[in-house]
Amino acid sequence: MTATVPNLELRRRIVNLVREGRDGHIPSAFSIVDILAVLYRGVLRVDPTRPDWDERDYFVLSKGHGCVALYAVLHERGFLSDEDLAGFCRQGGILGEHPDYTKVPGVEASTGSLGHGFPYATGIALGLRMDGRPNRVFSLVGDGECHEGTVWEAANLAANLQLGNLCVFVDWNRSGAQLLPIDDLPARWAAFGWTVQEVDGHDEAAIGAAIERVEFAPRGRPHVIVAHTVKGRGGGITEGHGKWHHRIPDDDEYAQIMGALA
Amino acid sequence: MTAASVREQFAETMRAVGREDPRLVVLVGDISHGILSGFREAFPERYYNVGILEPTMISAAAGLARVGWVPVVHTIAPFIVERGFEQIKIDFAYHRLGGNFVTVGGAFDYSNLGVTHHCYDDFALFKGLPNAEIVAPGSTAEFDLLFRQFYRSGHVTLYRIPGVQHGVPLEASAIVAGRAMLIRPGSDLTIIAAGPQLRSAVEAAPGLTAAGWDPEILYVHTVRPLDVEAVRASLAKTGRALIIEEHMESGGLGDDVMRAVRDAPVRTASLAIPDQFVTEYGTYDQHCERLGLTAAGVIARVASVFGAAPTRAVRA
Repeated sequence: MTATVPNLELRRRIVNLVREGRDGHIPSAFSIVDILAVLYRGVLRVDPTRPDWDERDYFVLSKGHGCVALYAVLHERGFLSDEDLAGFCRQGGILGEHPDYTKVPGVEASTGSLGHGFPYATGIALGLRMDGRPNRVFSLVGDGECHEGTVWEAANLAANLQLGNLCVFVDWNRSGAQLLPIDDLPARWAAFGWTVQEVDGHDEAAIGAAIERVEFAPRGRPHVIVAHTVKGRGGGITEGHGKWHHRIPDDDEYAQIMGALA
Repeated sequence: MTAASVREQFAETMRAVGREDPRLVVLVGDISHGILSGFREAFPERYYNVGILEPTMISAAAGLARVGWVPVVHTIAPFIVERGFEQIKIDFAYHRLGGNFVTVGGAFDYSNLGVTHHCYDDFALFKGLPNAEIVAPGSTAEFDLLFRQFYRSGHVTLYRIPGVQHGVPLEASAIVAGRAMLIRPGSDLTIIAAGPQLRSAVEAAPGLTAAGWDPEILYVHTVRPLDVEAVRASLAKTGRALIIEEHMESGGLGDDVMRAVRDAPVRTASLAIPDQFVTEYGTYDQHCERLGLTAAGVIARVASVFGAAPTRAVRA
């Protein structure tokens, strides 16, 4: 695990969103924000002025409760305005505690119920290939989400359909192992016929290099990048499992977290 | 229409519409692959027998719709409607994506397979999805014509393929999405039938007439959107309705009819599957007999609910 924590500004924005909106999952967002930052800054072909651009790459955040990280990155990338962020979890706002495809530019699916987004992305990948289009499809699932049967239904289907245009990140922060400790996820995905890489999910250079190594193709094995992550990474008291999963920091806690992110 | 069954008509319609519409995609959950071989051979790149993973079949179909395809998802009713309900709700309906869900084994059509393979809450569940359409065709012609009218509606559409047909001749030009069909005009009682139960209504007419009734028969192939105007007009005339359907009493067509006329001075009754599991084995016909979903059942229910027919002036 890299010693330095990247994306301090994004992390501070996430904390402020949760504090002001009085809702949200800080640790889940901190677990994935570095992966999203790499994707949206230099990997995904997207255009904030044309969220539905036909030639875009698709990213489906399957673990929807990490959406505060997605909002922060979409804001940085220009999909969302300051005003959009100010409306987080407020009446009339477009940003809720789960991402909503019908409201949020740049969000490809309404997720939150685990085990939906990745199978949906599988269909997008198939549909794009049927049209002979070169767009790439990315998704991100949580390791707890990997308890859901539909994750493995889709893993099975994508491998058998040879969806080589599909790349899935697994946010392996060991949440799932608290309940079901047998969680050798790299072996499991390999057994389903996927190309498998493991990466430090907080090392932006390593994440970028892993994506570079993915050989996207219309037909071929689909790709998974299992990211070793730390829930709440970088926030000091937010790290690890327990009460912080869905907690709003009080004044003292807020000061501690922002101090860690200074 | 030359198909022997509605299920075979489904296969023929897929091949015909697939030829006309290059965006039509068919996904099946390891059933009907024999009768769909024509579609598969003609359009191999648009046919996927994905195996036995119904929720993901539905989510993936939604992904296909997201990038411009028109999906048809087909397998046994409970595995789509009940197991995959959340996928239909979120991935299709909430995403405002159109999808077609073609089921077999609705109600107790799989009469010997037990509760696992029954599905008599499909109308009720789909009604929980805003803008959902529910089609219960009772003949090959209805399936073909109604599929063509609904399949690109942009909404989620359920087509319940019945194991039997009602056998009542219908004018093809009158088979219109969302429109009830007047099968027999009457004056003092309306029998509203859905799907194959139109047969029971038609066969009950002579007995009802002999008992002094002048029954009107209204046929509903589109449960949602219901032809509320036709229902209200008929009941305004007759003042009474018996609704017969192969669905649980709760949440079925009967509930919608009753809601449509709740402010009118009319009486309504339902002849449906009680709000209980169907645990017996036997044939489809035996299930219908036991549940009273027959002509005799209609006559008996009318007598028990509405009593004797109103006395009418004898026509000269």
